[in-house]
Amino acid sequence: MKLMRAVFVLVGLGILGTLAMRSGEAAAQAATPTAAAAQPAKIGSSLIGKLEGPEIILDAKAYPKTFKEAPSLAAQVKAGKLPAVAKRLPETSQLFVVKPLHEIGKYGGNWRRAFTGPADHENGNRINSIDKILTFDYTGTKIIPSLARDWKVSDDGKTTTIFLRKGARWSDGKPLTADDFMFWYNEIYLNKNIVPTPFFEFQINGKDGTMRKIDDYTVAFDFPEPYDFFVYQLAGSTAIGAGFATRGAFQNFGGAYAPAHYLKQFLPKFSSEVAVNKKAKDLGFDSWVSLLKNRYSWALNNELPVMTPWKTVSPINTPTWSMERNPYFWAVDTAGNQLPYIDRITMTLAENTEVANLRAIAGEYDIQERHMGLAKLPVFLENAKKGNYTVHLDPSLNGSDAAIHIGNAYVADPEISRLLKNKDFRHALALGIDRDQLNEAFWLGVGTPGSVAPSPDTIYSPGPEWNKKWAVLDLKQANELLDKVGLTKKDADGYRARTDGKGRLRLEMVTVGGQFVPYTQVGEMIKQQWKKIGIDLDVKELERNLAFTRDNGNENQMITWANDGSEMIFLFPRHALPVDAAEAHMGMDYAKWYSSKGTSGKKPDDPEMLRAFDLFRNAFGMKEEDRIKNGKELWKIIVEQTWSIGTVGQSPAFMGVRIVKNNMGNVPERQVNAQHARTPHTSMPITFYFK
Amino acid sequence: MLAYIVRRLMLAVLTVWAISVLSFMIIHLPPGDYVTSYIASMSASGSAVSEGEASALREQLGLDKPITIQYVKWMGLMLQGNFGMAMEWGRPVTDVIGDRLTLTMVISVAAIIFTWALALPIGIYSAVYPYSFLDYVFTFVGFIGLAIPGFLLALVVMYVGFAYFGANVGGLFSPDMVEESWSMAKVWDLTKHLPIPAIVLGVSGTAQLIRIMRSNLLDELRKPYVMTARARGLSEYRVIMRYPVRVALNPFVSTIGYLLPYVVSGSIIVSLVLSLPTVGPLLLKALIAQDMFLAGTIVLLLGVMTVIGTFVSDLLLMWVDPRIRLGRQ
Repeated sequence: MKLMRAVFVLVGLGILGTLAMRSGEAAAQAATPTAAAAQPAKIGSSLIGKLEGPEIILDAKAYPKTFKEAPSLAAQVKAGKLPAVAKRLPETSQLFVVKPLHEIGKYGGNWRRAFTGPADHENGNRINSIDKILTFDYTGTKIIPSLARDWKVSDDGKTTTIFLRKGARWSDGKPLTADDFMFWYNEIYLNKNIVPTPFFEFQINGKDGTMRKIDDYTVAFDFPEPYDFFVYQLAGSTAIGAGFATRGAFQNFGGAYAPAHYLKQFLPKFSSEVAVNKKAKDLGFDSWVSLLKNRYSWALNNELPVMTPWKTVSPINTPTWSMERNPYFWAVDTAGNQLPYIDRITMTLAENTEVANLRAIAGEYDIQERHMGLAKLPVFLENAKKGNYTVHLDPSLNGSDAAIHIGNAYVADPEISRLLKNKDFRHALALGIDRDQLNEAFWLGVGTPGSVAPSPDTIYSPGPEWNKKWAVLDLKQANELLDKVGLTKKDADGYRARTDGKGRLRLEMVTVGGQFVPYTQVGEMIKQQWKKIGIDLDVKELERNLAFTRDNGNENQMITWANDGSEMIFLFPRHALPVDAAEAHMGMDYAKWYSSKGTSGKKPDDPEMLRAFDLFRNAFGMKEEDRIKNGKELWKIIVEQTWSIGTVGQSPAFMGVRIVKNNMGNVPERQVNAQHARTPHTSMPITFYFK
Repeated sequence: MLAYIVRRLMLAVLTVWAISVLSFMIIHLPPGDYVTSYIASMSASGSAVSEGEASALREQLGLDKPITIQYVKWMGLMLQGNFGMAMEWGRPVTDVIGDRLTLTMVISVAAIIFTWALALPIGIYSAVYPYSFLDYVFTFVGFIGLAIPGFLLALVVMYVGFAYFGANVGGLFSPDMVEESWSMAKVWDLTKHLPIPAIVLGVSGTAQLIRIMRSNLLDELRKPYVMTARARGLSEYRVIMRYPVRVALNPFVSTIGYLLPYVVSGSIIVSLVLSLPTVGPLLLKALIAQDMFLAGTIVLLLGVMTVIGTFVSDLLLMWVDPRIRLGRQ
């Protein structure tokens, strides 16, 4: 017996030993990628193709006159269940005509994708964003018509008029008219039970805008003051402009229009409060507003009429979110084929993104850019042949995918608060970062090291020199600046001491785990780099919610987060300036002060920040040319003041790793990857097809 | 006996109420609320919620009211049989949980069957033939099973399944079957996908049960009544199965109290890794999103199940073990 036991112990040890050796090998293998980091950089840059996309034809003379439709719809027409295709489309001169990127496509197919649950509605919204009133072209810079066929801004900038497409229909065949806009305005937006707080985008300097019907196909938005920028609000990813489907899925009742004929049954005005409340209770909802919220979301309600190319069949709160083509969709290609080409979209639930990535590697998705991790690029490439897919990288336009936002309104530690408010101190920190090392380690070399300023290709970019300003490694100057602010004493370990005699100066950086960029690891590397300038940094990983809540209380000294969206600073300023109290990493008190016009929060004591606020505030009523000037000036201030320290940006880390099966047609080599462009919407998924 | 049951029932109701208060408080402990979490999650995926929208959302969901008022509102709704709205889902909580409950129970029951079917015979064998070759093998395998965390095993099994056997990655159905309505083909598809989660979920439990069964039975086998039974010439099978095994089963019966909540929740981490559409990941996501109605209801449900399970296992123990039954009288 004793002998037996000894034998087993030995066998066990032997197996453990083998396992240990294996893991040693694995560790050795894991070490190689860092050594070969330069190589993926080359692979990566070869995956960034030419920015291209479909063209929208605006000249009505070039429009097709005869129309074709998908075989599945033709069969329904034959069976008498649907009117003929010409009857379902808008009048010929009012069509949305797209010239596909490469060729006229073929009908059919089921586009397989991943989604991660009911909070992931943007996954489908972004494919269907063509129901926005206006939109951007494939470069993400020029505004073009979308749901509306045209628009006009009055000379005084106080009125923006949109012209609808005559004969465009909801997915149930009812026409879309100005009445659907007025219904939204009068019955949804102005009803305080439904929309308690007016939309910031629908106000100029805190004064409400109004809507007015001019005729059945013309709607005007009126403002008491010039609001030239409103066109951008209509084209951007905003509460008023992002489209009925998207804002419905957000459950915030935005979108500027809604299907009156369907939604009236859920509103008290058209029956009675008792009746709608009873209806809600019968279906298990606590009030009619809850029921309306549910019925208003295209992702949750498959009976809701929509203007999108695909409509929900199986809702988002089931294991599959599936969509089928909208037979009344109002766009055609240049040959007169009603779009979209693809019949169905099936999104399967991945309870976590790792599963989604593994399934993509197995070739189970046709086109997937959402939830794909940049860190997995080597594995994606290794399996590309087996999975029969191609990997495209779409760099973003924002300056930094890991920006160190500095808590300007932080007060808890007076010494640190004083330092964070000192421009020289911020510059020293920015100059102490080796961005190339970060780029190689965490962006596989495909990002662009630099400041927080957006890509030089964007309209508000102050010029490429601002991408490098205060954003290169310069230990000498950094040390000089730190000496200059009075941090001259060092302790035995070489770290600078506080000036108030309370020992070593320790800064704290808050990071959030589980994001597209490994912020914590980035922070740890910066900690090592700052050691050389004598700065001791604690990197503290917090749960996302906690990190944001601490932001709201001005408790973070620094927080690392992306500055995505900031390239369109007037549409989405919150990652560049503390002006939006929904999310302000650079000082929530200042954001409250700005958005409340000084009635709450705290006035910034930095005159440059006040100047930036003025430039920002005034831009909304300016003509395009002046506004662009303001935008450039703003970016110069932001970079010069370094309220956020840029590291590496313009990278595909943020939804820019795109896995495309080789049998997909009309897919661009590179697409614009930006929030306002609602990627992949500007690539017109309606023209994608199965070869 | 009846008085005992009534007393236990009243205690159970009180416990459930205490659980509801506690679970509501626990969900409110982390900083921020559903709206903060919503803003953060939108920001993380490159979308935005404006300040006005955020305050509107807070007002509509009643998050701007003090916690006591929110609790009273929740209680009031529950007494009417309405568990509130799952915020992230925009649907009544009961619908959201109901959708996932059946599949969760199928997986959990499959895992329990796997555990028991393997653990009981092996445990008995190991106890009857202690320190035999097979006992060592089982012990060794059992310890490995205990030592490997379920989520790691799940990852390995999933990768091996995908890389070498061409299995679907995660989930309970093939992609083309998910949407189908229930049919024989779909049941068969489910049956084919069930073993991996059942085994992964069952492995650590199996190892544990083998050890418990083995040591319990070993203790019993040494007792004089077993020797007496042998001396009287009872067959070996009868000697072991009739008495010592029954006694050794006691701990199993008392764990039923924990099994019941397990059946309705499933394992959270393993389900998440394997992408199983069960209640576990639902609870996790609700907690992360601070969706107090959904998380509160699930936690409450688990609490109620534990209370019921303990109650049932007490009754079962009385039934299985004459000593407890007679001891009370």
